[in-house]
Amino acid sequence: MTDVERPARVSRAAREGWSGLALAAGISLVCLIVSLAFGPVSLSPAQLWHDLLAGPGSHTATAIIFWQIRAPRVVLAFLVGAALAVAGVILQDLFLNPLTDPYVTGVSSGAALGATIAIVAGLAGGLWLTGLALVGGLGTLLLVWTAARRRGRIDVYVLLLAGVSASYLLSAIITVLMIRANDDLGAILYWLLGSFSGRTWTDVETALFAVPFMIVPLFFTKEMNILLQGEKRALELGVDVERTKRVLVVTAAILTAIAVSVAGIIAFVGLIIPHLVRLMVGPNHRRVLPFSLLMGAALMGIADLVSRTLLAPTEIPVGVVTTFIGAPVFIYLLRRGRRT
Amino acid sequence: MTTTDTTGAGGVGAVGATGGSAGQERSSPIVAVRQAAFAYDAERPVLKDVSFEVQAGDFVGVVGPNGSGKSTLLDLIDGVLAPGSGAVLVNGRPTREYRRRDIAREVALVPQHFALEFDLTVRDVVEMGAYCRGAECSPAAAASAALGKLGIAELAERRFPELSGGEKQMAVLAQALVQNAGVLLLDEPASSLDVSHQLALFELLKQLNADGLTVICVLHDLNLALTYFDRLLVLSQGGVAAWGPAEEALSPEVLEAVYGVRALVHHHAGRTFLTFSPRRSSQPRERGRVHLVCGGGTGSSLMRELTDRGYEVSAGVLNALDSDEVTGRELGLSMAVEAPFSPVGDDAHAENLRLMADADLVVLSEVPLGHGNVRNLEAVRAALARGAQVWVLEGLLDGDHTGAAVSLRDTAARFFADEQAVLAELSRLPRPPAV
Repeated sequence: MTDVERPARVSRAAREGWSGLALAAGISLVCLIVSLAFGPVSLSPAQLWHDLLAGPGSHTATAIIFWQIRAPRVVLAFLVGAALAVAGVILQDLFLNPLTDPYVTGVSSGAALGATIAIVAGLAGGLWLTGLALVGGLGTLLLVWTAARRRGRIDVYVLLLAGVSASYLLSAIITVLMIRANDDLGAILYWLLGSFSGRTWTDVETALFAVPFMIVPLFFTKEMNILLQGEKRALELGVDVERTKRVLVVTAAILTAIAVSVAGIIAFVGLIIPHLVRLMVGPNHRRVLPFSLLMGAALMGIADLVSRTLLAPTEIPVGVVTTFIGAPVFIYLLRRGRRT
Repeated sequence: MTTTDTTGAGGVGAVGATGGSAGQERSSPIVAVRQAAFAYDAERPVLKDVSFEVQAGDFVGVVGPNGSGKSTLLDLIDGVLAPGSGAVLVNGRPTREYRRRDIAREVALVPQHFALEFDLTVRDVVEMGAYCRGAECSPAAAASAALGKLGIAELAERRFPELSGGEKQMAVLAQALVQNAGVLLLDEPASSLDVSHQLALFELLKQLNADGLTVICVLHDLNLALTYFDRLLVLSQGGVAAWGPAEEALSPEVLEAVYGVRALVHHHAGRTFLTFSPRRSSQPRERGRVHLVCGGGTGSSLMRELTDRGYEVSAGVLNALDSDEVTGRELGLSMAVEAPFSPVGDDAHAENLRLMADADLVVLSEVPLGHGNVRNLEAVRAALARGAQVWVLEGLLDGDHTGAAVSLRDTAARFFADEQAVLAELSRLPRPPAV
């Protein structure tokens, strides 16, 4: 009897999976178009299409706005949103802790310190800031990793606590630097709050390095599903838990470091998106990961749109926007979770 | 009737330690544990020098007190833990040489506790068992087969966290079966099940075993262990206390040494089962001697209660194979016994008088009195005449077909409404009244 039912069920599940994913992709696409269209100077869909076809070499006013101002920051927002959401999924699962976000590993604070040093040292232009932020982020990962490593195994709880401690320590150093750096205070603060303002294709090129790391976890969906039962059970079922943890933690850290290095610390996206996606599609990572990637990108795109249009011509840092959206949604989710 | 001595069972364990070569002569064991020791913390070893071998197709139970290292032993066999010294071999190969994925194809484990808060379906959970098999099988087909085999196909689309404890246990068993391993380890699978599900589970394991699966199961219930398992490993303080055929491994001597309880072995309707009472206090005779006049099962519970409370108990005259006589024999009481279905003869009567003379107190249960045993009343009257304390349960008079017992009313004998009243009065006294 079950053998008769099974094919129908599998194909139905597959159909739901694909149609759902197509829907999420559609939503992201709409968000992308809306983000590209609206701003201090809004472009009609026809205008967008025209500018897109005209290519970056075109010198019409709208083409310059589209290619040199709007497109790089929108693309960057989508990449950063996707990276943070994927990192959030990975870390929440590894720690089996729904309150985990990509910043608990201390990587973001390390990246922030790197960026702060760049600003204070007068190297704020272009690759120096990004480079130092990446170095700071990955250096912190190495530090926290060493602390959590015992007899060849990574203790995720030590990792979590070491990461939180490192965050505080690095933030303290940043504060000292900020006190010493009167002139750059605004720049540092603005950077720390997270923003896509004035980002260029160079930043997009940096963020593109995150793409392969967004793909990596898709090869580990089975392991991530099994890890929902805890590390011990995963071992019993044949998962090489240490290798899986190594790959996933490093992946999440690199995604976070890249995201923070180009956009600063943007709160709540990595925390909220995995939760929302699990509510929509359940806990299976074959669905959670691609959905989170798409929804993280879309949410970040919309948040950036709000940040540059709501009080235009003044920009609100995008991290403030995501917090305004994220905090109430998160509290709602917590209350909802407690009821069920 | 009671099983063989401790040295026999212990000897089997000792042979396991040194008998690796003997085992290999027969056939290579599917699981071999050789002088394995394990400690999380060097100060307190969990297992020390454990050796035994399991042949393919064996059905082995592992018992032992809390903290004796049973779960740790399963983790060693599953290769989740590596022994600190010694070796654990699966199919002749040390577990530490396996990759995780490969050992999961040889050994599957059903853990005692299973936490999964996430909202996966039973099918999702069961399919995870196929991970170690890679592309060789279809997870969906393997999961359906396992769910069908366990008779829980209808659970497939249910949300795992919503299942009852017993249903979860079955789903995790299905997950382990999907691994298609030759060895199945179970850690107290019966602990969250009611009695009917316990029996169903063990019947199921028996069936899986008959189909060729080697089963090693940790459990607490010694009677289940005795009923279902061919061979038992008794662990105590990290070592092997006994290892061998179930009835030999669970001899009363082993149980007293391992658990510190007194075990009684009963054989009933083709089954062997155990009952337990607290260990006899070190000076069991201190509280005094009580002689019971009973029969037909009217004295059994008092025999147990009084023995457990540390009184030296005697009884008589009883017919051999009378249920009180059987209980008394299990408890090792001194008794005056007559042949089955025979009236009390002179020898038994004399023995009864002797036992009563030694007793501090004589208690008469609600035993029906007839011409066969009315002579016991004579013995009681003799004791009364000597000035001995005699306590009588009121019910005795109801079952008296001779009309002789009512005369006890006119003596110094004290009457009690029931056994509880007797026990209450006894516990009030520091010792039974002296003769």
